[in-house]
Amino acid sequence: MKAKSLAVLAALALLVFSGPTFAHHGTAAYDTGNPLTIKGTVTEFRFINPHCQVYFDIKNDKGEVEHWQGELTAPNKLARAGWTKHSLNTGDQITVTGLVGKYGGHSIWIRKLIGPDGQGMQLSED
Amino acid sequence: MCKGSVNSIWIALALLAIPCVSYAQYGAGKALPGNRNNPEAAKPNTAAPAPAPTHDLSGVWMMRNPPGSNRGFTNYTYTDPKTDLPSLTPWGEEKFKEAKDSNGGNYTLDQTNDPVLTKCYPPGTPRVYFHPYPFEFVQGAKFMLMVFEYDHTMRRIYTDGRPLPADPDPSWMGYSVGRWEGNTTFVVETVGFNEKTWLDRLGHAHSDQLHVRERFRRVDRDHLELDITMTDPKALAKPWTSTFYYQNRPDWELGEISCSGDYLDFNNFESFSFKKKDEAPK
Repeated sequence: MKAKSLAVLAALALLVFSGPTFAHHGTAAYDTGNPLTIKGTVTEFRFINPHCQVYFDIKNDKGEVEHWQGELTAPNKLARAGWTKHSLNTGDQITVTGLVGKYGGHSIWIRKLIGPDGQGMQLSED
Repeated sequence: MCKGSVNSIWIALALLAIPCVSYAQYGAGKALPGNRNNPEAAKPNTAAPAPAPTHDLSGVWMMRNPPGSNRGFTNYTYTDPKTDLPSLTPWGEEKFKEAKDSNGGNYTLDQTNDPVLTKCYPPGTPRVYFHPYPFEFVQGAKFMLMVFEYDHTMRRIYTDGRPLPADPDPSWMGYSVGRWEGNTTFVVETVGFNEKTWLDRLGHAHSDQLHVRERFRRVDRDHLELDITMTDPKALAKPWTSTFYYQNRPDWELGEISCSGDYLDFNNFESFSFKKKDEAPK
């Protein structure tokens, strides 16, 4: 069982951390031990340097709407993976997995993103 | 905050992550929905290595560590910080203690004193290689240009046989001269730095006496290896050396990355969360 648990843990770690890691800042502001997966609706997509931003709303356990901000990598890197400023649009349903800010607020450093068509979207050049 | 322990966590994460990043998290060249416009562009070049052309580095290059490499530290410093620390002078040690890095995972954007992140200072040579973006060599008759995607950074490397200046004026990226050694190795010497930049993303300091030697070895058409030797009698007790690895990207074009506006608006990035609770990290 222990081996199985470790395998699951390793798979989870690979899933979460196989996104782009070369960022312009480090991970000090993020909880690297507790990756989170959440589903929401895009309210704004900003194709800006140094990191593209996705704003989205989710419904929490109490049924309340929470406004979230997600951070991707640089637009040039996403462009080389085929993205444009139109790749995410208001109203798109997305599921993101990533690291959450340690100091409160609804901020997530996205390591995996399931797009509106239910498929994983490429988050780095290759 | 304990710099060492946090570093260790970051290094462990980096070691875990880097091989996946470099060698396709979704399988080699697989077209994905995010890659709607040009799925072919994501395919790696799988052709057998062709020989390197003579006296030619032109083209776009992107860092790519060798397969199986655990060189996670090349995200932020030159040698493995667990096993191969640079040898610093007392001046260099003192300066390093003052540094509060972000990229090593020790300080947030609100806390760091990294001159690149907080002031958009040019990164300097050779720190510019830590920026995770490509660069392009443009060869002229009397000089070589290195154009970095990051912040329009440019280096002009004179190849007209002139010597290095004996008493150079201070600059961000340095004054460079280059020469070919054999058919495929380009050797660049650079001096003339100010003291406003860091050697790496951890905050190791250099002085205006920094001398950088770079040996660009084009081992085949598609691969470039860069040996870096930093000498600085004021900051380094002995030379600091490293090798970086690059892959040719014939299908890539450099885009625009300007370190202005959004870059310095930390509320857009990790600090978004602080704003929510008005709580700066301790």
